[in-house]
Amino acid sequence: MAKAYTPGLKVTPRTTYQARRLLPVPGTVKVKHGDRVTADMVVAETFLEGDVFPIKLAAMLGVNPRELPELMLKKTGDQVAVGDPLARTKGIFGMMKTEAKSSAAGVLESVSDSTGMVIIRGPQPAVQVRAYVAGTVVEVIAREGVVVETSAVYAQGIFGVGGEIWGPLVVAATGHNADLLEGDITESMKGAIVLGGARMTAGAIRRAREVGVAAVISGGIDDADLRDVLGYDLGVAVTGSEKLGITLLVTEGFGDIAMARRTYDLLAATAGRMASVNGATQIRAGVMRPEIVVPIDGGGTGEVFGGGATAGLLEVGTRVRIIRDPHFGVLGTVSALPEQPAVLGSGSKARVLEVAIEDGSRVTVPRANVELFGE
Amino acid sequence: MSARGSLWQRIVGGLIGTLSLAALGGVSVSASAAPPPDFVEAIDVPWDAGGVLIVSWRVDGDPSAITGWLIERREEIDGAKWVTVSELPAAAREVTATKLSHDHAHRIRVTAFGESGQLSKGLETAPTLAHANFFIGAKLPLFVGILVVSTCVIVFILSARAGRPIKIRRIAALDAVDNAVGRATEMGRPILFIAGIQDMDNISTVAGITVLGHVAKTAAEYDATIEVPTSRSLVMEAARETVQASYLSAGRSDSYNPDLIRYITDEQFGFVAYVSGRMVREKPAACFYMGCFFAESLILSETGNSIGAIQIAGTAESTQLPFFVAACDYTLIGEEFFAASSYLSREPDQMGSLKGQDAAKLITAAAIVIGVVLATLASLAPDGAFPAALTWFKGVLGS
Amino acid sequence: MRIVATDCGSTTTKAILIEERDGVFRQTFRGEAPTTVEEPFADVTLGVTNSVTELQELSGYRLIADDGTIIRRRSQSDADGCDLYISTSSAGGGLQMMVAGVVREMTAESAKRAALGAGAIVMDTIASNDRRKPHEQIQRIRELRPDMVLVSGGTDGGDTKKVIELAELIAPARPRPRFGGEYKLPLIFAGNKEARGAITRCFGGEGFALSIVENLRPTLEQENLGPARERIHDVFLEHVMAHAPGYDRLMSWANAPIMPTPGAVGDILQTIARGRGINVVGVDIGGATTDMFSVFGGVFNRTVSANLGMSYSISNVCAEAGMDSVLRWVHLDMDERELRNRVKNKMIRPTTIPQSLEALVFEQAVSREALRLAFIQHKAFATTLKGVQQQRTVGDAFSQDAVGKSLVDPMAIDLMVASGGVLSHAPRMEQTALMMIDAFEPEGFTQIAKDSIFMMPHLGVLASVNARAAMEVFERDCLILLGWCVAPKGEVRAGRPALEFTLSGGPSGGNAEVAKGQLVGGEMRLVRFPLGHSGKLEVRPEKGLDVGAGPGKPVKRTIEGGTVGVIIDARGRPLKLPTSPSVRRSAVAGWQKALEIYL
Repeated sequence: MAKAYTPGLKVTPRTTYQARRLLPVPGTVKVKHGDRVTADMVVAETFLEGDVFPIKLAAMLGVNPRELPELMLKKTGDQVAVGDPLARTKGIFGMMKTEAKSSAAGVLESVSDSTGMVIIRGPQPAVQVRAYVAGTVVEVIAREGVVVETSAVYAQGIFGVGGEIWGPLVVAATGHNADLLEGDITESMKGAIVLGGARMTAGAIRRAREVGVAAVISGGIDDADLRDVLGYDLGVAVTGSEKLGITLLVTEGFGDIAMARRTYDLLAATAGRMASVNGATQIRAGVMRPEIVVPIDGGGTGEVFGGGATAGLLEVGTRVRIIRDPHFGVLGTVSALPEQPAVLGSGSKARVLEVAIEDGSRVTVPRANVELFGE
Repeated sequence: MSARGSLWQRIVGGLIGTLSLAALGGVSVSASAAPPPDFVEAIDVPWDAGGVLIVSWRVDGDPSAITGWLIERREEIDGAKWVTVSELPAAAREVTATKLSHDHAHRIRVTAFGESGQLSKGLETAPTLAHANFFIGAKLPLFVGILVVSTCVIVFILSARAGRPIKIRRIAALDAVDNAVGRATEMGRPILFIAGIQDMDNISTVAGITVLGHVAKTAAEYDATIEVPTSRSLVMEAARETVQASYLSAGRSDSYNPDLIRYITDEQFGFVAYVSGRMVREKPAACFYMGCFFAESLILSETGNSIGAIQIAGTAESTQLPFFVAACDYTLIGEEFFAASSYLSREPDQMGSLKGQDAAKLITAAAIVIGVVLATLASLAPDGAFPAALTWFKGVLGS
Repeated sequence: MRIVATDCGSTTTKAILIEERDGVFRQTFRGEAPTTVEEPFADVTLGVTNSVTELQELSGYRLIADDGTIIRRRSQSDADGCDLYISTSSAGGGLQMMVAGVVREMTAESAKRAALGAGAIVMDTIASNDRRKPHEQIQRIRELRPDMVLVSGGTDGGDTKKVIELAELIAPARPRPRFGGEYKLPLIFAGNKEARGAITRCFGGEGFALSIVENLRPTLEQENLGPARERIHDVFLEHVMAHAPGYDRLMSWANAPIMPTPGAVGDILQTIARGRGINVVGVDIGGATTDMFSVFGGVFNRTVSANLGMSYSISNVCAEAGMDSVLRWVHLDMDERELRNRVKNKMIRPTTIPQSLEALVFEQAVSREALRLAFIQHKAFATTLKGVQQQRTVGDAFSQDAVGKSLVDPMAIDLMVASGGVLSHAPRMEQTALMMIDAFEPEGFTQIAKDSIFMMPHLGVLASVNARAAMEVFERDCLILLGWCVAPKGEVRAGRPALEFTLSGGPSGGNAEVAKGQLVGGEMRLVRFPLGHSGKLEVRPEKGLDVGAGPGKPVKRTIEGGTVGVIIDARGRPLKLPTSPSVRRSAVAGWQKALEIYL
């Protein structure tokens, strides 16, 4: 078998990108089919169910739960504010009445006569979904959301933290193999998507947060710096919901590693355009990689892409990236795909392939340790 | 009866004393065979609690005529009389006068008496005050002991505060509280807590109330019902305060019901009858007996066992321990019971002091072992150095 | 007789063929294909068909019909098809459950045990004493998207108030199932029978598919997990599987109900433990989680350590155990910053495999810590029942032991079964054996085996249909016996004599001496005793050391050979590594040399 499927990251100068913008629960869609939208435009909105506050009313009044319903001053469905009396005991000859006040605001949802508990449902928080990328609404899913489509320069990263953000793309690095340093970040980059080269240094991240940069894209990051940013050691790569005020995205991996020249050149060419970045990464169950979308003018390629995992065919001549030490980060072309498993340095037997590296040499690595690089 | 008896004795004794003195005094005029002392001196004992003078005297003449000495004292106040301190044999040259008043100086008079009982001329000392000193030298070992114990306690408290972990051995009975309360919760039955039948002045009751705080907090967290019948009104008040505080700290102040903590009766068996009856009717799933118990221990714990409750007892009454051990699931034995509060709270101060006290107990135990060994060796080899060592050791310990 | 069995894992579907040859069942061929639950295929049977097609190519039998279904034989003389088809599944994240009970350590724990035993992943346990405020509990219930909820609480005739309170929290929180839409969330009630009426009122309405089974804790002294476990399996099939893509078809193919993979593994281990009367510990270390199974004295327990795994969760293992703990097993000089970056790179690219020896040494060090942590969690969970009344005599005054003692006793383990990537794909069997020994610290005599190709799930289901076939395949093809570990319990002194041993035997038993020797404290030795050999091993420990018969007492036992042999471990228990880095490194290197770990 001279071919094999292997995972890869998508980096392409032109694709038709579709973003499905859906509400977590049904609500109202605010745009129509064919509308032009910008990234920060609200396309759908809903109200979530409020928080639930149980109050042990019978115990507060010192009465049997069964008596509670007739002592209630509020009916189910009534609005309740903090401090409102909820129920009052009958007292003795109309005297010595005890009153129980609400400790939560919301709507009285239920009164239980078996446990003496009442449930108050808090106010409904609004949930808004924005367009995320500038483009055209191509589909409206009733009560759920829309699909926004645009032609775009598209690049998947390998790992990111922080959620969806958008802003103008600014090149800060001097080249694809130059570390992003503190001095590369300037005040003018507030709200921008900053493109770095190799590793983003701790100083650069700190400066970017001070300045108010929207997102930093770079080749690599040091584990220790990531821990500083997050405040904890990340155990499982499920990210995107951090509240950091900045989105960080790396295209290659951890450590000192240059961004692939092609990715860098592609993104650097879009400098000044509005870009959308999502740092959300989820390696397990339904692989999700962070992405950079830069909407461009003109038509797409016809191939519609909506993010997610990609995989492709591995054959002689395929461009690959080696993704494990001792050749971590090296780019090259598959030059041979031996049939028989080979014994690795570790003593394990595994199927391997030979990669011709750009400097002319050839290395043999396990097939599991490469990923496709390119479209 | 005894007080009155001793009073009579004193009165009679006093009369006899006075009469004999008068008789002696009468004889003294007629003869002069015994020579008087030539020098008398009274010295205040240093480093003592006061009231003690050491009297010494010298005879330059022929002492053979002397058959004994009469020592008397007189306080330096107007109208004070001479009082006999003691009568001593002829060879004596020194005596310790004790039980003197601290407030006034005393004169001591030493008189010799001869064969026929005639008295010599007495010689008096200058008025000397038996001072009370700031420090009693004889109590030095005790002082050192206190210092050692306090140092242990302080050192351990400080180290606990500094965050050094202090290990307390697991006390199964206290770890089982969660278990017992959980059982009551699952079975939908109450928890019964009895803090003994003594009042708040009993240290066991105080310890029991401390444990109650913990049990009540657990009950509040599990939202289980806890009943505390008491046999003293003060205990009821203390229990209410404690349980309320526990419910508050568990964040369930709305579930606290003071009516479940009630006073029954002071009568030992009236109380026991109530509690046993309650247990049989309500079938609590967990029973705690923490405090001072007497004859009721087995009645309560057997009743509890028969209704299938998890029972945890704690008492320092050694006579009741076997009953509790046999009938209960867990028993806190003596010291464990008092250690419970620090075990439960895990506060560095309490843990440190517990550990410090343990260290002091260890030192005491070591001293006992050394004493026993020395005493044994001394009795086996009376000629060796051991008797001396034993004496020295006793001296060090201040006995 | 020809049996086809498949296990639809989250990434690959594995098929095996079992055939009866000369009256004995043997596993003959295996095939693999990617699982096809997720988009774009969204039909699990495609992966099954692909994997069975591979079996077909290898075996030469025609097993797959033109329409993609599995061919059945009408008689034993038919050349094509199979007689029996069974399957397990953990695709789509397996069975995810939320459980609730009144007291966390009692009914809630029993509920958790029932769910885990049935092969579920327990997302959270709600209890009235879990130290969360009611609104926090509701928040949590709403965040989770379980496939199923199990509510328990109260003994029969016991508490009803808190059970209803729990129900009143869960009902308005309306947890949303993972497979949205019209799907009603299955809810099983296995609590106080007196609360059934109120529970029915609470969940009878919209959104829930309520089923009621016997109380899983009828009294606190008794646990009755069977009915709840069975209902979980039924509900898994009726509701959860029925909504997963392609499963309706798969169910119609199978001759036995489709089981969650871990549930099937638990079943086969229980069958083995019961059949041989031994205590078994099994482990399956995966990329994201580690499953531990144990049977002690007939009591089965399973735990899932979420986030202790070798790829997706590798970074979490390092964070939880600490890099120092990981590196204590490493005899090479490694740069910590570099390692930390490598760990993170493995986390984001979980499918890579170690290429260099250095990388392998490090991964195996991480696996020791993952296994060790998972075992600690297992020990804490596998306990005797809590909340039970104790019977005492006066003699117990100073030996009042606590309830809820762990059932796991390292001295009592008879057999340890290793499975999962890092253990079963280790280049040398010696590495697998040493990882197991280092992580679990078995005491006395313990046999170590590994699951050759992770066949246990298939055999678990097979056991329910054809127990003989399952047992025969398990013994002949499933387990690869690695050998024995003999380790004295107690503290050894470095360099001082610890034990003497004599091994005799051969290919057909006998008394021929194979090896004898003496070990000092801190030493390990490997005595080769090949597979198929059997004999007697006598171990005479020094005073204070225990190999099973008590301190200082010699033990003589019959043992069988294995691909590794007999490992004698005189490092003492609990295992203590030297504290000084250089001494430790040379000690670790010494053990590896003695056991021929890395060549």
